[in-house]
Amino acid sequence: MKKALLLSVLLIAVVFTSWATGAQDGGGDGTTELRIAWWGNPTRDERTLAVIDMYQEVNPDVIIEPETVGWGGYWDRINTQVAAGSLPDVMQHDYAYLLQFASRKQVADMTPFVDSGIINLDGVDETYLSGGRVDGKLYGISLGTNAVAMVYDPGMLKAAGVAEPTLDWTMDDFAAAARQVFASTGVQTVPFFTTDPKVGFENWIRQTGYPMFDPSGKSIGFKNISELEAFFALQVQLIAEGVMIPAEESFVTLSPQEGFLAQGGSWVDFIWSNQFVSTQDAVDRPLKMTLVPAIANGDRPGTYLKPSMFFSIPEVSEEKEEAAKFVDFFLNDPDANMVLLGERGVPITPEVREIVKANVPGAMQQIFDFISLVGNGYASPIDPPDPAASGEFLKMFRDVTMETLMGIVTPAEGAAKVESQGNSILSR
Amino acid sequence: MGLSTTGTRSFAAKKELKKTIAGYCFISPWLIGFLFFTMLPILTSAYYSMTSYDILDDPVFIGFGNFTSMMSDELFWKSIKVTFTYVFFSVPLRLAFALFVAVLLNQKARFLRFHQTLYYLPSILGGSIAVAVMWRRLFMADGAFNAILEIFGLNRGISWIGREDTALMTLVVLAVWQFGSSMLIFLAGLKQIPQSYYEAARIDGARRDQMFFKITIPYLSSVIFFNLIMQLIAGFTVFTQAFVVSGGSGDPLNSTLVYALYLYQRAFKYYQMGYASAMAWVLVLIIGTFTIVLFKSQGKWVFYESKGGK
Repeated sequence: MKKALLLSVLLIAVVFTSWATGAQDGGGDGTTELRIAWWGNPTRDERTLAVIDMYQEVNPDVIIEPETVGWGGYWDRINTQVAAGSLPDVMQHDYAYLLQFASRKQVADMTPFVDSGIINLDGVDETYLSGGRVDGKLYGISLGTNAVAMVYDPGMLKAAGVAEPTLDWTMDDFAAAARQVFASTGVQTVPFFTTDPKVGFENWIRQTGYPMFDPSGKSIGFKNISELEAFFALQVQLIAEGVMIPAEESFVTLSPQEGFLAQGGSWVDFIWSNQFVSTQDAVDRPLKMTLVPAIANGDRPGTYLKPSMFFSIPEVSEEKEEAAKFVDFFLNDPDANMVLLGERGVPITPEVREIVKANVPGAMQQIFDFISLVGNGYASPIDPPDPAASGEFLKMFRDVTMETLMGIVTPAEGAAKVESQGNSILSR
Repeated sequence: MGLSTTGTRSFAAKKELKKTIAGYCFISPWLIGFLFFTMLPILTSAYYSMTSYDILDDPVFIGFGNFTSMMSDELFWKSIKVTFTYVFFSVPLRLAFALFVAVLLNQKARFLRFHQTLYYLPSILGGSIAVAVMWRRLFMADGAFNAILEIFGLNRGISWIGREDTALMTLVVLAVWQFGSSMLIFLAGLKQIPQSYYEAARIDGARRDQMFFKITIPYLSSVIFFNLIMQLIAGFTVFTQAFVVSGGSGDPLNSTLVYALYLYQRAFKYYQMGYASAMAWVLVLIIGTFTIVLFKSQGKWVFYESKGGK
């Protein structure tokens, strides 16, 4: 019996000591340990890890511990780390959440590092930085720029005898083209942004000068509900004519390879510009990208340049200066960016942008050209980040869009529903 | 003498105590895991259910606020309705199908092991992404199911997975298809029934259906009871299949928004941990009620041989 007791005590001792030693490693011998976290995909992980290796080679006294997971798991993990007070030293951030983190002082103001020259932002246009600012303080530095786009198959348009979209295309031109493509080839058209229809309507309503959300975040930002009705009505009409793919089919969540554009069921799709490479990879015909069609009565462009993601330095980091040095390397080092190749979006520093553009494949170059185009007069300033309740709002918006496009409610009823339910979700 | 007996007794007691301690030490890895990674989260979730908690800020105590707002939450009631519909159809269908296949396999089938493995496979595949993709391919407008209907001239080009009134049924079909584990338990139960009963019945001239309902079902009732409870719990907590087939959205129009999926959305999409915890406790209540009612009812229909048929 004594033996059994001794054995079990030993067993526990082993378990506990292994926990304890596992918990405390690193530090102490003049080296700095940095934890860097991002959400990603296999390509991004591979390239980011390579850049981390390059940085450690130049800075042998820095040991970097990478933390990478997919988008969904990333925020579960980050939120747990917030609760535990153990955020990493550098974290990838998103426009949707940066405001919440900044207003709760979870991330640090990076202005001092920019002023002292540790992070070099010379020549970077303010339009690329403003997305990371809250009350004039810089809480995130954009790693790339994004904008909404329409991708289309020029071959299909040619086969249907339809001219390619021009920069002044309106929704009427779009509808006419869709009808002609359908009439002469039988190829249909997908509805606007089926994974997140709010993106499509946001582009529409911003052209009338109003934001999607009120700056207070407590109500919707537009008063002209008839515009939402028109947004629904255009699609309902095209579906009724057989030109547009019914919502029962087009709103089923599909991978790019399964999608209607890839399978030849549609001549067009609506995406964020950084998705162009993966979209092109999934489609074996050459694609082109251009602006989302404008509404006839618009006052300004609805498109805006959005920071695709940021690097932020959490307030809990004890190595903020070392973290800032890494961010600078990531942004400005030519060799590092030859590895990254704009995978996170079009780089913000002009020199890096030029170097990378000259070395990327055709699909990527189209993204660079598109972002430059948008930046030259086809964008209006970005709105404040979405309010905290936007997740629920987006779901409601998508549900009502589906209801309307399926003909369960009329466009007018759908628009009224978004207004009443939207305000009740946001005001909570 | 009296002294010496108490001495032996206390010695025996000491030995007993030592044994007990050793026992607890041996199971301590599990015990610690249970206390810290199961019990503690359960208790904290009880606390969080009374709070408004978005993780970024500290939880704010709001009493029963989450529960009252649940009562006026349309999607909450929708998810209740979806889950009950799912359970109502999937549990009996899956059990009936599992029993049917088990009875077939019990007829001295050739290659029994092979068949068992084959029919168990879908249950292992579970809610994998491959199954989700396959289900979409099967039930889309241009999917395989419509292609089969086409042969009989019945294809109306319906997108089964995209329509509000049919999407949930594709999940029920998926659940029925994954009947393997219940089937194995039924099969084991069938093997326990003494053959002599059937022989006696056959000599008395009983028909096959009579034997099934008078011998097989009563003898199997305890196994049916067990399977029913397990499947009911699995049905109420179903998540993976709905998540992967609808891409986590509950599409179309929340017709596949099962309770656990809505709970997940509240917790990890909207970061309303308090509300999600409260929902979890309501689900505990629902499942608890059903289980208790079933246990109370078992005296009326479940037959235990060990109790002499009482």
